[in-house]
Amino acid sequence: MKFSYNWLAEHIDGLTVPPAEIGKLITMKTAECEGVEAHGAHFDHVVVAKVLTAEPIPGTHLAVTSVDTGRYGVKQVVCGAPNCRAGMLTAYVPPGHLGVTTAKLRGVDSDGMLASAKELGISAEDEGIIEFAEGEPGAAIAGCTADTIVEIDNKSLTHRPDLWGHHGMAREVAAIAGRPLKSIPADLPEGAPAVEIEIRDAKLCPRFSALRFENVTVQPSPLWLQQRLESVGLNPINNIVDVTNYLMAELAQPMHAYDAAKLQGGKIIVRVAEEGEPCPALNGQTYTLDSSNLVIADAGGPVGIAGVIGGGPSAISDATTTILLEAANFHAASIRKTSTKLKLRTDASMRFEKSQDPVNTVRALARAKWLLEQVSPGIRLVGGLADLYYPLPEVAPISFDLSWMRRKLGKPDLTAAEVTAILTSIAFGVSEADGHFTVTVPSWRATKDISLKDDLVEEVGRMIGYGNLTPVPPLVPSVVPPLPPERAYLRGLRQLLTAQGYTEVYNYSFVNEAQATELGLPIEDHVRVVNPIAQGQELLRTSLLPNIKRNINDNAREYESFRMFEIGKEIHARGQELPEEIPHLAAVSFERHGDGVANLFELKRLAGTIAPSCTVEPAEARPFEHPFRSAKVILRNEAIGRLFEFHPAMVETGRAAVLDLDLVKVQALRTAAGKYKPLRRFPTSAFDLTVPTAERELAGTVLGFIREHAGSLALDVRYLYDYKGDKGRSMTFRITLGAPDRTLTGDEVTAIRSQLLAAVAAKYQ
Amino acid sequence: MIETQLSELAAATEARIAAVTTADELEAIRVEVLGRKGKLAEVSKDMGKLSPEQRGVVGKLLNAAKQTLENALTARKTAFEQAALAARLDREWVDLTAPAPGVGLGSLHPLTQIQAEIEDLFVSLGFTVLDGPEVETEFNNFDALNIPPDHPARDMQDTFWLSNGHLLRTHTSPVQVRGMKKLGPPLRMIAPGRVFRNEEVDASHEHTFYQLEGMMVDKDVSVAHLIYFMKTLLSAIFKRDVTVRLRPGYFPFVEPGFELDIQCLICNGAGCPVCKQSGWVELLPCGLVHPNVLRLGGIDPEEYSGFAFGLGLTRLVMMRYAIDDIRQLQGGDLRFLTQF
Repeated sequence: MKFSYNWLAEHIDGLTVPPAEIGKLITMKTAECEGVEAHGAHFDHVVVAKVLTAEPIPGTHLAVTSVDTGRYGVKQVVCGAPNCRAGMLTAYVPPGHLGVTTAKLRGVDSDGMLASAKELGISAEDEGIIEFAEGEPGAAIAGCTADTIVEIDNKSLTHRPDLWGHHGMAREVAAIAGRPLKSIPADLPEGAPAVEIEIRDAKLCPRFSALRFENVTVQPSPLWLQQRLESVGLNPINNIVDVTNYLMAELAQPMHAYDAAKLQGGKIIVRVAEEGEPCPALNGQTYTLDSSNLVIADAGGPVGIAGVIGGGPSAISDATTTILLEAANFHAASIRKTSTKLKLRTDASMRFEKSQDPVNTVRALARAKWLLEQVSPGIRLVGGLADLYYPLPEVAPISFDLSWMRRKLGKPDLTAAEVTAILTSIAFGVSEADGHFTVTVPSWRATKDISLKDDLVEEVGRMIGYGNLTPVPPLVPSVVPPLPPERAYLRGLRQLLTAQGYTEVYNYSFVNEAQATELGLPIEDHVRVVNPIAQGQELLRTSLLPNIKRNINDNAREYESFRMFEIGKEIHARGQELPEEIPHLAAVSFERHGDGVANLFELKRLAGTIAPSCTVEPAEARPFEHPFRSAKVILRNEAIGRLFEFHPAMVETGRAAVLDLDLVKVQALRTAAGKYKPLRRFPTSAFDLTVPTAERELAGTVLGFIREHAGSLALDVRYLYDYKGDKGRSMTFRITLGAPDRTLTGDEVTAIRSQLLAAVAAKYQ
Repeated sequence: MIETQLSELAAATEARIAAVTTADELEAIRVEVLGRKGKLAEVSKDMGKLSPEQRGVVGKLLNAAKQTLENALTARKTAFEQAALAARLDREWVDLTAPAPGVGLGSLHPLTQIQAEIEDLFVSLGFTVLDGPEVETEFNNFDALNIPPDHPARDMQDTFWLSNGHLLRTHTSPVQVRGMKKLGPPLRMIAPGRVFRNEEVDASHEHTFYQLEGMMVDKDVSVAHLIYFMKTLLSAIFKRDVTVRLRPGYFPFVEPGFELDIQCLICNGAGCPVCKQSGWVELLPCGLVHPNVLRLGGIDPEEYSGFAFGLGLTRLVMMRYAIDDIRQLQGGDLRFLTQF
């Protein structure tokens, strides 16, 4: 929202804060200022000029003119405007302003410029140079002045309906500067209501006020009005529409002017739209409405979408001679819903959705009457005010104690007089006795913004200035915070992974359908994003692998080998309930060359460091896995994840081994160190055993067999190596024997060994 | 003459010892001369034939010759051993500038690092660390934070809506509600995590980023406490004394609400392009917890008050490492990630 300094100053008695400082003051006390910039500084230099002669330059559309500029003398200026002619009064811009320089055009000297309304920043009009009906050469452009525009971040005005107009912001500035705010009268002459009003739902429309005028002349607004609208980013259109926009920007009250001759029947009805009811709007679009939209209707149907946009057929045109001027109040959420649904955000809807003040409508009409009389000479009010008003429930007076306010702000020396002065300066009604306050809220702050004593802490705090509070260390109990063990676990896991050479990646929580389909993840298991704005955001990931696969292929272009991991959440749909979010680890070891076996075993070892005593069991490969390099990782008889190599069709440039672990299960199944076992006091004996096996026999199976048959004195059985020769494959194991209470004799060892050999021979020839 | 014989043998052997070129030759001489059946031993055999007087003289001579030869042998032997060791060591020359084989350290993601660092700061101040889900209910994300449906404040946070009727949390603030219910007052908690906004992505905008929510609830927590706390914390984060200021800011779940600015760390407030010549950089939203929010968290706002703030972890990472493209953080490019 743009604010004009001149406009604000008109509402404040004796404002002395210079324009350059006002942005900072507003930022520190009210709302965030995004920028302050000069507007129309050239008006101190531009003058009215009379074109004395205008001779066409042959072969061009240009004319060489001689102009009387008064204070700058008679100047020769080259001008290309179609309306440039001898005798006219226009605007002269001397060199050095608006980028104008002394120049030669088509070989003709040009000293300055004759300017259009657009070039002067008065309106969007650029058909020709501006033309004045009257004025003395050398005079300033009447009504146009240098100004400073302060731009305020709209987000910081979300809770302040009153700050969507200059008068409201002027109240803030007046309070900050310690100057009085000028009041705007709301007086209207008595008279019979100009129009009958029916409101079908008072919640959606608490107030509808209107005036009727006749003998209207539709014409361009005076320059001061055009320049002012232009300076705050509103386009001048014609005097009638400009008045409504002016008041919207001044009092934050959106208004609408109807061509009264185009309204059917003598009644205005505020109602919800019928299903599928069309409404042609003044932007040329026709909107199809439903019962969630509120309309202003006459006997013929909707003449406007309430609070959003006026109707097309009843819009003000050059032929308009009578108008109905509306100032109404609508339910904020309803307007927001309609404007969101129709994708139509207007200056009006932006204001109404902030919960505007219903008290404001009549004041805006009174101000409009005053302004219309200036810009449409001869205009006459017909009858009196039409006003249907269902007042909102009043905000109860707010009570608090000074001591409470002091504690909230942390300012023990705050006085009752300070609080009273601040709240009064921003129009709260204050009564105070012995430090007990009772505060009434002005109507424009009462619609949503302020209803609790906590809301007043902000009012007092910001006006004191938070920089005037002395920082105080909080007095809190010293406790050891209860920390969830998962966080410490994940932190340790990350350290373990980086210590083993893995680099951490973060991927999005999204995957697209193609990615899910490629890995055979059922689409219906995913939670779907209803309103993605970009490709690739349709689904929430049920696996880290689709994005990991992408990381592998991306990095394979740069690296011959790499290790990486991600710890992130799988998100699994659970109907209407919140989905299950399971933290997973995906670790990758990639090698462009080589057979990939080392990478797989490296990850197997990694699994063992993360989940000690886990085992690996061959599993049926999923479609994206290498069909003969895929296994489940098992911990205490439960699958905790998967170890595999990506199918070469998925990763074409090399071998990518992956370990994917469910970290909830890993944490649940891992065991903490228990009671210590005394160290052995007697020596152990060991022997090696070589077992001839089938080519694809599993080492884990043979190991299990040996362990089972080695007897209770076998302390350890471990795989040493295998050998593949002409006669097939064999595996060698080392068996360590020992008794807790003695040293085993050679005979005992031999007996166990023979027994085991016999069992192995029976099973494996 | 046995004396002559001895001295000739000693002199000849000394000459031979001096002339050997290998340790083996030296050993052969030792065996030949000093061995049990060596030449000296033979000479000593003849001692018995001598008179006791002669025996005493020759015995001395014999011992002297033996001693001299042994010394000469030992000296040569040591020299050979030293030369052999020197040769071995020389052969063992290693080019230590060659790269070490095996796996180097991996890197933690910069967000992980900064998050851990900040978590530790908070834990040292008695805060607990909580997690919340990425998918949240509309109620927890908005309503419980005093943002009812059709509230214009919902526009501040473009939301990803989900097929199950829920949403991707737009901020970590919903963990406030969960934390209040879980911990009860008084409490100190932070909730770092991933949040989502439905925005177009470019170098400075992301739909997925990281925040850290913080909350302290106790009796009589004030704005003055908040200012002290944030200054202390931010000085620790930036590892230098930081000047902070509060100004009004609107966030429905706090009242009053603030934007906290820090004095520009580049120009110390003098004005530079980083702070857009203002001397201040907007850093984080904060405020006193709105009584409605406390109530929904099961805490009586008449008895307790609190402050809350939201720290942008992604923003801090970008500030710390001068990262100019936010997309790098979730791009999975190891060329970027291995720098941290």
